[in-house]
Amino acid sequence: MLPPKWDEFADLALKRIVASGAEYGDIRLLDSITQTITGADRRIASIREQQDRGFGIRVLYHGAWGFAASSVLSVEEVPRIAERAIEIAKGSASLAMNKIILADEPVHRDRFVTSYQLDPFSIPLEHKASLLLQTMESLHRQSGIVRSHASLWARRDCKLFVSTEGSHLEFDLLAVNGDFGATAVHDGRFASRNFNTPHLRTGYELIEQADFPAEATRIASQAIEKVRAPAIKPGLFDLVLDPEHLSLTMHESCGHPSELDRALGYEANYAGTSFLTPEKQGTYRYGSPHVNFVADNCEPETLAATGYDDDGVACQRWDIIRDGLFVGYCTNREVAPKIGDSRSRGSNRADSWGSVPIVRIANIGLEPGNATLDGLFADVKKGIYIEGHGSYSIDQRRYNFQFGGDAFWLIENGQRTHMVRDVIYHGITPEFWGSCDGVADPSHRKRYGFITCGKGQPGQSGWMSHPASHARFRNIHVIKGQTGS
Amino acid sequence: MSEKISKSWPKLTSREEFRFLSDLVVKRSTGDHTFISLQDQHGGTTRFANNQIIQNVDARRGALHVTVAFGARHGTAATTDFTAGAVQETVTRAMQIARLSPEDPEFLPPPEPQHYLAPPTSRAETAAAGPPRRLEYANEAIGHCRMENLGAAGLVSSAVATVGIAASTGLFAHEERTDARFSLTVQAGDATGWSASAHRSIDHLKVQDRTLTAINKATRSHIVRKLPPGRYPVILEPAAVAGLWSQLIQALDAKAYETGTSALSGRLGQRIVDQRLTLRNRPMHDDLFGLGFTSEGLPTTESDWITEGVLSQLAYDRFTAHRRGLGTIPTCDAPCLSGTGAALPTLQDLITRTEHAILVTNFWYIRTVNPTDLTLTGMTRDGTFLVENGEIVSAVNNFRFHESPLQVFNRLETYTGPTDAVTSETGKVLVPAMKLRDFHFSSVTRF
Repeated sequence: MLPPKWDEFADLALKRIVASGAEYGDIRLLDSITQTITGADRRIASIREQQDRGFGIRVLYHGAWGFAASSVLSVEEVPRIAERAIEIAKGSASLAMNKIILADEPVHRDRFVTSYQLDPFSIPLEHKASLLLQTMESLHRQSGIVRSHASLWARRDCKLFVSTEGSHLEFDLLAVNGDFGATAVHDGRFASRNFNTPHLRTGYELIEQADFPAEATRIASQAIEKVRAPAIKPGLFDLVLDPEHLSLTMHESCGHPSELDRALGYEANYAGTSFLTPEKQGTYRYGSPHVNFVADNCEPETLAATGYDDDGVACQRWDIIRDGLFVGYCTNREVAPKIGDSRSRGSNRADSWGSVPIVRIANIGLEPGNATLDGLFADVKKGIYIEGHGSYSIDQRRYNFQFGGDAFWLIENGQRTHMVRDVIYHGITPEFWGSCDGVADPSHRKRYGFITCGKGQPGQSGWMSHPASHARFRNIHVIKGQTGS
Repeated sequence: MSEKISKSWPKLTSREEFRFLSDLVVKRSTGDHTFISLQDQHGGTTRFANNQIIQNVDARRGALHVTVAFGARHGTAATTDFTAGAVQETVTRAMQIARLSPEDPEFLPPPEPQHYLAPPTSRAETAAAGPPRRLEYANEAIGHCRMENLGAAGLVSSAVATVGIAASTGLFAHEERTDARFSLTVQAGDATGWSASAHRSIDHLKVQDRTLTAINKATRSHIVRKLPPGRYPVILEPAAVAGLWSQLIQALDAKAYETGTSALSGRLGQRIVDQRLTLRNRPMHDDLFGLGFTSEGLPTTESDWITEGVLSQLAYDRFTAHRRGLGTIPTCDAPCLSGTGAALPTLQDLITRTEHAILVTNFWYIRTVNPTDLTLTGMTRDGTFLVENGEIVSAVNNFRFHESPLQVFNRLETYTGPTDAVTSETGKVLVPAMKLRDFHFSSVTRF
C-alpha cells in the first residue's frame, strides 16, 4: 500500500499545474529501499540499506518542459515545487521555437505489482551474509586464488504516477541480483572470472536457485585455468557467444542505436547519436535474416516490465529488427510524433524521483532460432566461444565496437577445446550482425540485463533486460588485448 | 523567469543543524562507534539539443547515512527523510544491521578529530545561481550557433551542497561545496566540435570562449580525410590527456598493488612515465575541485603521486594504511599533472611546431582492455584533425586506440603548461596538452 498522503500531495500538485494554464503535468512520488551486501576477500565489507524518498513534478507549458523535485515530502513543499516546475517550464518556453506535442495515450488507472515467491527483504541478513562468506571461502579453497568478491542486491520501489490527463498508476516493484568472482595470479599475470545471476524482477528465489556454492567451485577453477591459458593469436575467427555475453553486445550495438531521442540528436553532447537515422526505418539492412530483435516490455520478470513507463504509457511488444531489417525505435510521448508515430512505445523512464524521464532502451531480446548449441559448435573449424562480460567500448554513433568477455575457449574442428586469454573482438555493427548465421533454440534462452545503463545529463542509470540464446558469427576480427612492449 | 523563485528554496543543512543532527544520532545509537555523513544538495541542469531546450530541471536532495558498529560488526542505513521519526528509524536500522553482521576483520573505528585544510570549495555566485542563470548561458551558446547556422547540444548545470561527517569519536567536519559545468557539442551537418568547462564558480565557465572553440572545431570538420589505422604522432588536447590519466590514477590502489592484481605491482619507486612528468594533488588550487575532507572524515593533503616520472605514492584505504603503519593517507581529490623544464605556452604553439601529427580533441568510452598492463581502448570524438607543417590541414576520420598510459607517456616529446580539463568521463583536472610519438590507432569508424 502506498502512503495515504500521496494522493493528497498529487492533488495539490496537479491543481497548481492546471491553474497555471500548462497543457500537461504529472507527478511521480517514489519510496525506494535498496539493500546491498558486499563481500570482499573473505569478509563482509558492508551491509547497507538505503531509503530514498521524494517526488518529481513535470510540467509542459506552451510546448516546453520544466521539472522540479524534492526529497522533502510535505503539504508545503509539494505546491512550492509545482510552482517551481511551472516557472522553469515558462523559462524553457521563452526559448522554444518548436513546440512539443505529446503523442496521445489512453487514460490508465491501474496498479502493477511484481510477482515473487520470497521477499528478499524478509530473508535474514545473517543468512545472506553467511551465503556470501561460504561462497568466498569456496573460491579461496583453490590454490592460486588471491582475491574474491561476492554481493547480493535487492530493491523495492513503491511509486505513484498521476497526470493532469487523469492517469493514476500505482507500482510495487521488486528486483534482485547476486554475483561473485575470483581473481587468480600466475607468472606475474592476474585474471578474474565472475558469476552473475541476471537482474530480474522477482524474489529471493532467484538467489536460491542459483546454487552459489556449486558455481563457486567452477568459477574458481576457471579463473585458474584462465590465468594460465595461452594468449590468443590474432586473426579471423568464428565466434559463438553465450546469452550473458550477447546481452552487452546487443545492448550497445542494437539497444542504444534504436533510441529515437539519440537518432534525433538529443544526446549529441553526451551519450551520442545513432547510425539508425529515421530515413533508414523499414529499409536498412542491419543484420542477416537470422537476426530478429524484439522489444518486449511485457515479459514477466524482465527489468522494463513495469506495466507502464514514466509517461504513463502502457508497456508494449514490438519489432526493432525483423529478418535483419531495421523496423522500429524505442520512443516516448515527446519523440514518437516526430517520426509520424501516433503512439509512444512506452520507453520513457527516470532512475529516481529526482530525475526527469528520458527515452531508455526497452527489453530488447534476440529471438531464438532453431539451432542446438552443439550444432553451432559443430560447423566451426577455427573459432572462439565467449561467456560473460569483459571490456567494452563503442563509438558515439554505435558503428565501431570492441568487446572482450569473461571467459574464452578455443573451438577447433567443431569441438570446444581449451581456454585462451586476452581475447578482444571488434567490428562495425551492421557487418557484425550481418555475419550472424545461427541462433540457438529457446531452450538456451537466458535473460541477462543491466541496471547501470548510463545516459542523460545529469547521468541516469537505466534498467532493461536483453534475453537471448547463443548465437554464431562468422569471420570476426580478433585481436590480443595486450599492449606490445 | 525571476531570480526570486530560484532564491526561494529552503536553506540547506547548516553546520549548526548538522551538529544538532549528528549529536542526536550519536545519542540515540547504542553502538560502540557511530559514524554519520550528510549530503544535502540543491542543483539543476539546463540541457539543450538542436538549438532547443530539451530538459530544464531543478532538484533538492538530502541524504543522511548512519553507520553503527558493535565491536567489529557494522551496518549502515541511509535516508533522504530528515524528520525526527525517520532519523530515529535510520539509527535503529543501522543498529539492527550491525548486530546481525559478521565481524569484519578490516573494521576500524572512525577517525579521531582531525585538522583540515580549508580549500575554496564554495562560491556564492554559484550557490545563488538558479534556472535563469543557466538559461542565460544556454541561450548564449545556442545564439552563437544559430548565427553560424549550426546546431548546438549541451548543458549548463550548477549546484550547491552542504556536506558533513561526524562520529562518536568527536570527529566533525562540515563544508559547503559548489559546482558549475558547461559543455557544448556543435553540429555542422555530420561534423561535430566539442568543448567544456567546470569550476566552483559559475562566473568562470567561459561560455563564450568554449562556444567559439566548439564552433571552430565543428566548422573545420566539414571535409574529412580518410586515414588508415596505424601508429601516428599525436597531439592530445588536455581533455584527451585527462581521459588516459584518469585511468592511470584509478590503478594506484594499494590493496590491488599488494595482492599483485595491479598493473603497477612492484613498481613503487620506479619510473613509470617520462621523467619530466609530475602528478601532484593540490586541494587548495582555485581551479580544481579540492575538498576539505574525504567521505571517511580524513583530511585531504597536498601530496606527490608521481615525481619526475617515478611512482611515489599509492592510494590507501584505511585498513591497508593502518596495516602499513601509515599515519597520514594522501588523497588525490585535486590532481595536477605538470612537466618540468621548458613547456610551450599554448596548444597553438604545440601545433605550430609540429610537422606531422593527429590532433585529438577528446577520447570517448575509454575502458580497460587488460588490467595486467593497463591496456586501454577508446574512440576519438568531436574534433580529430591532421596537422601538417604547423597547421591544421583537415579533419580526419575517428579512430579507435589501443594503448597503455604506462607506455604512451614514455613517448612524450613536448607539452604545454597544465590547463584545465574536464570530460564526461573524468573529473576536473589540470593537465598539459602533449605531443607523443607512435600512438596506436588500431581501427577506424565510418565517420
